[in-house]
Amino acid sequence: MVETRFDELKRYVRFGADDARALLAFRAVAEPHFVRIAREFYERIREHEEAHAVFTGEEQIERLQRSMVRWMGRVLSGTYDEAYFEETRKIGRVHVRVGLPQRYMFTAMALMRVSLEDVAEKEAGAAAKVVRTALTRILDLELAMMLESYREDLAEQARRRDEFEAQSLRSDLARTLLLHEAALDASPSLIVGIDPRGMIRLFNRAAQTITGYALEDVFGAPFVELLVADAARPKDAALVASLLAGTLTQLADESLLKTRSGKVRDVRWSFTRTDDGGPEDIVLFANGEDVTDTRAASRQAHQHEKLAALGTLAAGLAHEIRNPLNGAQLHVAFLRRALEKKLPEPELLEAAGVVGDEIKRLARLVSEFLDFARPSALTNKRVVVQALVTRTLELTGPLAAQAGIVIVADVPPQELVIVADGGKLEQVLLNVVQNAIDALSPGGSGRIVVRVRRHPRDVVVEIEDDGPGLPSPNAPVFDAFFSTKPTGTGLGLAITHRIVTDHGGTVGVESRPGRTCFRFTLPIGNESAALEGESA
Amino acid sequence: MDAKPTHRPLVLVVDADARSASLLARLLYTDGYDTEVTTDGAAAVARLTRNPVPDAIVTDFHLAHADGLAVARYARSRGPLMLVFVVTGHPNALSSAAGPLDEPLHVLTKPLDYPDLLARLVAALGAPSRA
Repeated sequence: MVETRFDELKRYVRFGADDARALLAFRAVAEPHFVRIAREFYERIREHEEAHAVFTGEEQIERLQRSMVRWMGRVLSGTYDEAYFEETRKIGRVHVRVGLPQRYMFTAMALMRVSLEDVAEKEAGAAAKVVRTALTRILDLELAMMLESYREDLAEQARRRDEFEAQSLRSDLARTLLLHEAALDASPSLIVGIDPRGMIRLFNRAAQTITGYALEDVFGAPFVELLVADAARPKDAALVASLLAGTLTQLADESLLKTRSGKVRDVRWSFTRTDDGGPEDIVLFANGEDVTDTRAASRQAHQHEKLAALGTLAAGLAHEIRNPLNGAQLHVAFLRRALEKKLPEPELLEAAGVVGDEIKRLARLVSEFLDFARPSALTNKRVVVQALVTRTLELTGPLAAQAGIVIVADVPPQELVIVADGGKLEQVLLNVVQNAIDALSPGGSGRIVVRVRRHPRDVVVEIEDDGPGLPSPNAPVFDAFFSTKPTGTGLGLAITHRIVTDHGGTVGVESRPGRTCFRFTLPIGNESAALEGESA
Repeated sequence: MDAKPTHRPLVLVVDADARSASLLARLLYTDGYDTEVTTDGAAAVARLTRNPVPDAIVTDFHLAHADGLAVARYARSRGPLMLVFVVTGHPNALSSAAGPLDEPLHVLTKPLDYPDLLARLVAALGAPSRA
């Protein structure tokens, strides 16, 4: 019988039946640690931008944590046959597909090794040394097999590059073309060349950087299917078809670009149809500008201007409203006093009480409006995000429990420190959690999760509930005076939005029946610089 | 019968809105305080030059001729322990106008919560005997 690649590698590191038995026995004591190890592993990745870039969201990270737990179970399963080998290769291919740099494959394996050896040291007793040896062998076998996928990928890339170069050299203009290519690569715009069948034939450096694809990944791949996000695909497919058919020669198009890792960016394309050529010649140039950041910035600048004007208005209005309210309130106090003394008729007293309550409500509206439109300046200090969450839960827990609602914190074990106005952020958390409680209360039960995650540059806080959801997924909840509650002023989330954006963060919401999730991010930033700026 | 001597502290009410001012004075009177009313800052300062010095002042911030802070400062020079409440529709503007020497400054936001004001007066001056 011919020795397989896997058997050959096992023989090389002398991985035998004794190792398999040691690993299986170790599994019994190691299993309780799997979830913790997986969690620590993904916490670490959050600190590294390029490794973190392959993630699309928290749900995916949770899924990956679960598959890492399964992976540890598999590594300690005691059975290491061809099916095992195939499974490992599959995992390797997934990592290649999402574009995880190879160096993270090695360093990730080092993390796993350290964690598992640590468990062996503590739990395996006299067998610790044997287990460590077996671990070293199996983990390096894993690594070797996963790296096979990278090798296959490299081979594929090389094949495509050869094809590409062979094609280039066929032309007498090869040198000129190369010069043009250098010019294309210097451009900050995405430049994509498309052949008559809609396949990519040119893909400049900016396009590679922004999409995360290498030229070899996209060469010969269909432009629309690969690069246009689902939401914009039908429209763009029709436009590109018209351009390729020659019914259109020039077109500007705002679209959504899908990157390799599945993220979506705003891109403004301008398409230019050139003269017809051969089946592999470029007939259509797509020149794209990534406007994701400028759009966000201009939205923010616009918002700031609006708020400044609103602040001036609010201050004047507050004065004009509070003065008459003051007179009204005093007269109500006087009326109540007189009624209590002379004519203790409950209906009249109640009527005076209603007027008094309405005046208080108006006064609260004015206060909240001022809070929103002209907030006091931030007083930034070092803030531990977990402490904010703990405090919010202490304040809202008892009320929630009364309504049959459970609130749980899901925060990373390692302290997350940001420079921010703790009091205002507490206001944000309280406000959003209170909204969730209000949404769940009519049902008499429910669950709220306050989740904190570290990303390379931000802290992400999510408040998720399993309530009925917003009336519409696009409800303008952050707009002033939008409210779904009968007694709400409609300013709570507008103030929340203001506080978070004043911190340089972002706010968003996703909602469908059964799951509503408010998410805000806060930049981690440079701690000492932020504090210096504060004292200057 | 109550053998205690009558104790009726004096409160000066300063507000450009004469109706509100006299109504507040009337409520305070019912609750056992003697009151005087002026409707502009300069008149308030003039009143403070004379005896008896009030035990407390409730003054609006926005006043003609001298604002509530000026009244408060002058009042302090007459009686350093005098209780001064400044009432305003825009507390942020007041805090930025006030300096450290104005402390302790009791700022009340409009609309004035009368029961709250009364409780503070009682806490600082003791319970007065009713009219």
